[in-house]
Amino acid sequence: MSSFNAIVPMSCVTAAAIAAMIAEAFRAPGERMPIGPLGAIGLAGAAISSVLLWKDGASSFGVVVADKFGLFVTFILIIVGVLSLAISEPTIDRERLPRGEYYALMLFALAGMMLMATATDLLIIFLALEVLSLAVYVLTGIRRDHALASEGALKYFLLGAFSSAFFLYGIAFTYGLTGSTRLDRIGSLMAAQAMAPTPMQLLAVGLLLVGFAFKVSAVPFHMWTPDAYEAAPPAITGFMSTGVKAAAFAAFVRVFLAAFEPLRPSWSPILWIVAAATMIVGTVVGVSQSSVKRMLAYSSIAHGGYLLLALLAANDVGKAAVLFYLLTYAVTNIGAFGVISVLENTDQPNDRVRDYAGLWYTHPALAALMTIFLLSLGGFPPMAGFIAKWYVFSAAVKRGYTGLAIIGVLTSVVSVFFYLRIIVMMYMTTTDTPARVPPIPRMAGLALIVSAILVFYLGILPTRVLDWAAASIATIF
Amino acid sequence: MNFPILTSLIALPIAGAVLLLFIRDEERNEPLIRNIALIVSVLVFAETLLLWTRFNPASADFQFVERHAWIPAFGIDYFVGVDGISLLLLVLTGFLTPIALLSSWESVHKRLKMFCVFILLLESAMMGVFVSLDLFLFYVFWDAMLVPMYFLIGIWGYDRRIYAAVKFILYTMAGSVLMLLAILGLAYLHSQGTTGEYTFDLLKLYAMDVPRSQQFWFFLAFALAFAIKVPLFPFHTWLPDAHVEAPTAGSVILAGVLLKMGTYGLVRFAFPLFPEAASFFAPYLAGLAVIGIIYGALVAMVQPDMKKLVAYSSVSHLGFVVLGIAAMNTQGVQGAVYQMLNHGVSTGGLFLIVGMLSDRRHTRLISEYGGLKNVVPRLVAVFFLITLSSIGLPGLNGFVGEFLILLGAFRWDPRLAALAATGVILSATYMLWMFQRVNYGPVTDEKNAKLPDLQPREWLVIAPIVAIAILMGIFPNLFLKPIEPSVNRLIGQVSQRSSQRLQAGNSELRIPN
Amino acid sequence: MLSAYVPIAIFIVVATGFALFTLVVSGLLHSEKYNKVKLEPYECGIEPTTDARDRYSIRYYLVAMLFVIFDVETVFMFPWAVIFDKLLLFGLIEMLVFIFILVVGYYYAWQKGALEWA
Repeated sequence: MSSFNAIVPMSCVTAAAIAAMIAEAFRAPGERMPIGPLGAIGLAGAAISSVLLWKDGASSFGVVVADKFGLFVTFILIIVGVLSLAISEPTIDRERLPRGEYYALMLFALAGMMLMATATDLLIIFLALEVLSLAVYVLTGIRRDHALASEGALKYFLLGAFSSAFFLYGIAFTYGLTGSTRLDRIGSLMAAQAMAPTPMQLLAVGLLLVGFAFKVSAVPFHMWTPDAYEAAPPAITGFMSTGVKAAAFAAFVRVFLAAFEPLRPSWSPILWIVAAATMIVGTVVGVSQSSVKRMLAYSSIAHGGYLLLALLAANDVGKAAVLFYLLTYAVTNIGAFGVISVLENTDQPNDRVRDYAGLWYTHPALAALMTIFLLSLGGFPPMAGFIAKWYVFSAAVKRGYTGLAIIGVLTSVVSVFFYLRIIVMMYMTTTDTPARVPPIPRMAGLALIVSAILVFYLGILPTRVLDWAAASIATIF
Repeated sequence: MNFPILTSLIALPIAGAVLLLFIRDEERNEPLIRNIALIVSVLVFAETLLLWTRFNPASADFQFVERHAWIPAFGIDYFVGVDGISLLLLVLTGFLTPIALLSSWESVHKRLKMFCVFILLLESAMMGVFVSLDLFLFYVFWDAMLVPMYFLIGIWGYDRRIYAAVKFILYTMAGSVLMLLAILGLAYLHSQGTTGEYTFDLLKLYAMDVPRSQQFWFFLAFALAFAIKVPLFPFHTWLPDAHVEAPTAGSVILAGVLLKMGTYGLVRFAFPLFPEAASFFAPYLAGLAVIGIIYGALVAMVQPDMKKLVAYSSVSHLGFVVLGIAAMNTQGVQGAVYQMLNHGVSTGGLFLIVGMLSDRRHTRLISEYGGLKNVVPRLVAVFFLITLSSIGLPGLNGFVGEFLILLGAFRWDPRLAALAATGVILSATYMLWMFQRVNYGPVTDEKNAKLPDLQPREWLVIAPIVAIAILMGIFPNLFLKPIEPSVNRLIGQVSQRSSQRLQAGNSELRIPN
Repeated sequence: MLSAYVPIAIFIVVATGFALFTLVVSGLLHSEKYNKVKLEPYECGIEPTTDARDRYSIRYYLVAMLFVIFDVETVFMFPWAVIFDKLLLFGLIEMLVFIFILVVGYYYAWQKGALEWA
């Protein structure tokens, strides 16, 4: 049975998802069932099995490999999952969302993400991609009576399906060239024929690049992001902006740095431009947003740019930087969306920048938490975001991508401007009509505090996690 | 290893801030909050004085060194130490923080707890900047310091506070992020060297020979960050806004300590790390400094707002400091360090006076005042002393610094010294003219006729400043002595390495392609 | 390399040829008698022109989707059945897991009322 070891974590999550569905099916109308804790149990199982796998790793059927890299991302996803579960509860109650469906979809998406992070076969990656995407499409539009929600979900779905087709087409070309969908085999075969890249190879790489670029919302494939982020309930936005990003980047790193490494000279210039454009567009367009969710959507695009920069640098530092960055981004961004989520009111989304006016005077703790998350996103020490950015830029400088690094630091100054806009509103503006904020549920408050503590922990004492990240990349490539 | 005194300088204010967080921000807790903050900051000041007495003034080395591995995988240490240059800046920081707190005793009531928390956090970050001997650690404090200052200006400032706060933080960040890249590049360069060690240790980086083409860029990145902070002309535009809009306590700390970080950075990092690039750029820096001296003075002259006038006078005075540093000889640098302290004391004092006046009249416009001499004689007397100290009258602190700087600059390039000397005259003009308009003549406005004179609390705030100004003017050696060995070491470091290259026949520093 | 594609080429030729052949031959042979119904597009009983704003019941899609989901899964069972003697117990357990998940989904859909028409 040892060949099943590698898929135990995602099986736990899948089992929890199925259990959630069964519970929902047996639930009498109006009966409240503790479905959320079911998910927590599944995630706990995943966490325990991942810890057990950490030392030796495992491989299932040669297509799913639980190496340290995959497990690190799995840990990120578990954290994302737990925090998202905790901040979801108030949203579900307020919006009267179908609880079982919501949790089942979230857990299925998590299982897909975990599979994507550990898959070493293009077909499995595609399978995982579809599992997570389908679940996330539905979650995006789960507020069915919101016009915006339907619009955003439909946009996301159509463009997502389109990009999946690109991705699949890229897989087909790759298979045609090498006769395999295994990443290691593709890598060695590409290396053998790498001297002068053929048009076929370029086509395969290009198509896969488009597929990934869409999933990590890199410019120019970012159009869906603000709409989808605005459409989804904030708890879901936090979930998908971090979870999908982590899973997609894990696969991105595996495919491009393992299988297509021999073709680096042909794809690195393209990625250079994409990374630069992503950082610039994300921050510059973010400046002019008046909705906090859209603003954070553009900030998420920009952060994708920094991750691309780390991926492009692709030295030891860069690969570990991707992992560390994903972790800090996950913790921070879920925190920020968590605050948005608890601010939301039944009749009022409270997600305009001006709705934050005077928040410090009415809810000092919430304002302080939001400040911590925003400053971390902006990269201020001693928050986690600073260490993460520093890590990425040191990878870039080491590799000689000074130009991109300069673009990166300057765009992060610009991004500080829009993070500060919210802080200005919260602290320095007073209003006669402060936003009415519903009482904050205990679980959600706890999750926010935990996120904030993690933000400080990763910012002040990052050594241990940095070592883990460095160990994680030692097992692959 | 005895008591980690430098760490406690950083940790004590943070501990105080954390303690304050647990106190409810209510009206009846106000005295408690103020007293805790004040006691903590006075303790920190006492510690800095203790540090001074224990400091060995004959040694040029870093003392009270503490080193702990922080992020070993990347060669980052928690590495702190103090030498003659940073010692007195620490004392200055410790000195001005309680004064800033006291100055806000009456004027700040809104959200008092957070005000004190931010002041204490700011103090901790400032201490951190001055004691860091690891570039990464330095950058962390350098950036972390922006946040509390941003809140101080933005929440407790005057009308255009938001604009000023955002401008302050964006300007400073824009400069410092490029420095971050340079720091990373420097560490990477060190890892390419013989030891192959990736490190941010300042002492190891001092010893490294940076290729000239790279020195050029590194120096520019560092110098930009520091030039914005100083602020050197033409990067000074954030300063008047920040000063004018900041609350009095913020202005005092901003002028007294924050600006010194720019010049301190030049002395500690930019010059000794990149000596050849520094000697190449020194004339340009000096040129900008002289422009700043004259420009700042001329603009100060026409300001209708007292606070803005003092702000522009800072641009002028800091120009002197940069000039002294650029000269890179004993008198110049010693004078520069001395002038940093002077400026902290006298400009801090001026901001306090302006704050006291505007607390009474709620305006800072010079034209609103007049004839205060007979209304508030004690306040005016103190005002006069501090004005003279700012001008640089012999016998007061300002004179020593400016004199040394001009001496150093003269030995280096007499033309620059001559131009800079006009700044001294101009500063006398704008300061005395302002003083005259505010304090002499008849009382034109009835509101001015019944202003109260200095309160006991205000005496407590302003008397130490006056005392220090006189002390520094009469016994400059007390302060110059610990500075000297470190300054000489610094100059040795810079000149030795650039002259080695001269002998090797590589005198020309070319702009790389 | 290319010779492997020869059967596909032959297949394409034959398929095109068959279609052309049928069209041409029936065009030659058929008798030319037209009436109204015969000239309509889609002569299968559905009105060719109606109001464009016609709505299908949402249940129509629901049932269609359920059909697609559960019908396509059977395709998976055919190859499984063909090599069942090689997969043995492992294959049986795998299929049971698979069917279990399907049944959960089916039951869920049922409980949620997806199968009720009115």
